Amino acid sequence: MKKVTALLLALALCFAVLAGCSQSDPQDSGAPSSNPSQSNNPPTAPVTITIWHDGDEGIMQTIADQVNAQLAADQITVVFEKKTDMPNQLKLYGSDAVNAPDMYFYAHDVLGSFVAMDILAPLSDVVDTGILADHLSMTVEAGQIGGTQYLLPVYFETLVFLYNKALWEGDIPDTTEALYDYMVAHTDTAAGTYAVVNQHTNAYNVSPFINGFGGYIIDETAKPGLNDPKTIEAATYNQKFGALQADGDYNTVTTLFNEGKAAAIIGGPWLVSGIEAAGIDYGIASLSDIKLPNGNGLAPFSGIQGAGVLKVALAEKKDALAKVLTAMASPEVGVDLANKSGCAPANNKSYDDPQVAAKEMITIIQKTASTAQPMPNIPEMGSMWGPVETMLTAINKNGTDPAQAAVDAQAAAEQAIADMQ
Amino acid sequence: MRQKLRWKPWFYCVPALLLIFIVIVFPIAYTGYISLTNMNLYHWTDYGFIGFDNYARALFKFDSGFLAALGTTLVWTVLNMAIQIGLGFFIALGLNAPGLRLKRVYKTLLMVPWAVPAYISILLWRVGMFNTEFGILNKFLAMLGLGKVDFLASNGIAFLSCMALNLWMALPFMISTIDGALQSVDGSLYESATLDGAGFWVRTWSITVPAIRPIIAPAAVMTTFITFKQFDIIYLLTQQRGYMTGATLNTVITYAHQNAFASNNYGLSSAVSMLLFVVIILFSILTNRSLRED
Repeated sequence: MKKVTALLLALALCFAVLAGCSQSDPQDSGAPSSNPSQSNNPPTAPVTITIWHDGDEGIMQTIADQVNAQLAADQITVVFEKKTDMPNQLKLYGSDAVNAPDMYFYAHDVLGSFVAMDILAPLSDVVDTGILADHLSMTVEAGQIGGTQYLLPVYFETLVFLYNKALWEGDIPDTTEALYDYMVAHTDTAAGTYAVVNQHTNAYNVSPFINGFGGYIIDETAKPGLNDPKTIEAATYNQKFGALQADGDYNTVTTLFNEGKAAAIIGGPWLVSGIEAAGIDYGIASLSDIKLPNGNGLAPFSGIQGAGVLKVALAEKKDALAKVLTAMASPEVGVDLANKSGCAPANNKSYDDPQVAAKEMITIIQKTASTAQPMPNIPEMGSMWGPVETMLTAINKNGTDPAQAAVDAQAAAEQAIADMQ
Repeated sequence: MRQKLRWKPWFYCVPALLLIFIVIVFPIAYTGYISLTNMNLYHWTDYGFIGFDNYARALFKFDSGFLAALGTTLVWTVLNMAIQIGLGFFIALGLNAPGLRLKRVYKTLLMVPWAVPAYISILLWRVGMFNTEFGILNKFLAMLGLGKVDFLASNGIAFLSCMALNLWMALPFMISTIDGALQSVDGSLYESATLDGAGFWVRTWSITVPAIRPIIAPAAVMTTFITFKQFDIIYLLTQQRGYMTGATLNTVITYAHQNAFASNNYGLSSAVSMLLFVVIILFSILTNRSLRED
């Protein structure tokens, strides 16, 4: 009897072990993403559109509230799901009809990778791209790969100059040289007090110098530009600022500013909630108003945040997806984002709202957009962050000759791009 | 009848074997399969068999940079293991000293670093200990009137900083293992040795060490492998994107990650993984052989 029981238990264990390997039928699953409106269902059947993101949950809730309100009559509900390291998660599940979301929401710089993987549907396959007619052209172009629109731009962000009004003395300098003189006079690294802090080895935060000098990280033909003379000139020029800007990692510089140990910080709108929570009376200036020695304004990268549609979702939810995209593109979403979360809308019509037009952060970002350059969105960009930051770290922290650091970084970048193939 | 008996034990083992196959064997085999394909960003779903091309490219990556990383890894492993076993042994001896009060409290406290998730520990040390502005070490230096030290800026000091953190995280396991082994040593041996006039060092060297060696050997071997393939401490302390400290320290794993895994080329990354797997298997065979000789 004991032997029979043992054999039965062993058999049951085998089944239990293998049970996890079974593939669930999406129609049987209780998950919201697997509750599609079948084509033969009545048109009023409720549909849930799942959107993966890796951003601020408050911002996503603002979008969801507005879109859901607009689509309540259609019984379409948008649900945002936060996924840590979303781009890599989407690489794993993007072509998996059971586990993939219907849409994703992220910055435009990863777009090229997703398109190369062939997991995204062109927006024109889902909806009339005329919904983008009122959008800022910079944001629309950032969502295109090879002339095809894959990303619906919703809002954009860029770097600005944020300063503590209680600590900053006088006006904000209008040249980088005057800014440097101010930093020399007002920085005491030994005491841990700084005039301006910046993530000076982070490629995104050094982009105002690189772009302003006419350098580039990678061009549209996927050619890295780290050993371009203008990129080297920019990295060399950034070095003297880095020496007066503390360690340069995100937590250090934001804490220094929020604790009143730094009078100014180069950062984006994502810092504002922390600054306000710290009770700092802050002012904002556009980086494009601060001129480099060559006369150009600082020209930061801009990141366009928007939504893309997964190919695997098209078969069963095309109509609902079209309605969601149309609602997301509406000026009302931009107005809500601007008023509730301080985001600069991609839809130009949102700026007609007097409350939006009165917001200092948004007008400054809009102004900076005149010199800002969208981050490259080709797939190879993903391989560039490492080499650029290695180069900036070697120059700013190890004192490596900029020309040599640039040659090494260029070789590393070319190898990284070759390794992608 | 005998035929029946022959397959029965295997049948009882099937659930465990299945689990081992799914959790251990299958991922290795699948990595081996992917390493023979061109699976990358441009061939995500339509990848095909390309033979040993990825291995040829992976071997090319085992260049001077890889050899330097291998050297660093060996020094890292030897130093960490020597200190872990030596320090762990003396701390465990201290915890077993006769008359020591609150032993259980000390043992519990010593377990804390092991219980904290590695990622949290590393971030805590990066900001709380090593940070130039807010780290406690620099606060102490400032109190002594000394200048700031960037503990992660160059290879030498970054190596020592990483090692300090690794020891903090790994010592509890070694201490608890040795502590457990010490409980098994027959106390009468010490009494006889003391009557024979043996001092502390003679007792330790002639009784304690031989008695606990067979017990701690498997733990030491396991820890050696964990230390050899260390990734998170060095990566998160010095190389994380947006927080590169200036140190160019690499172990074989961080080197492979830097050179293959960041490219989204799964075929190439798998080939590098398989080659590293072979290196670790060889290392394992050598270690096991030396243990058997002991």
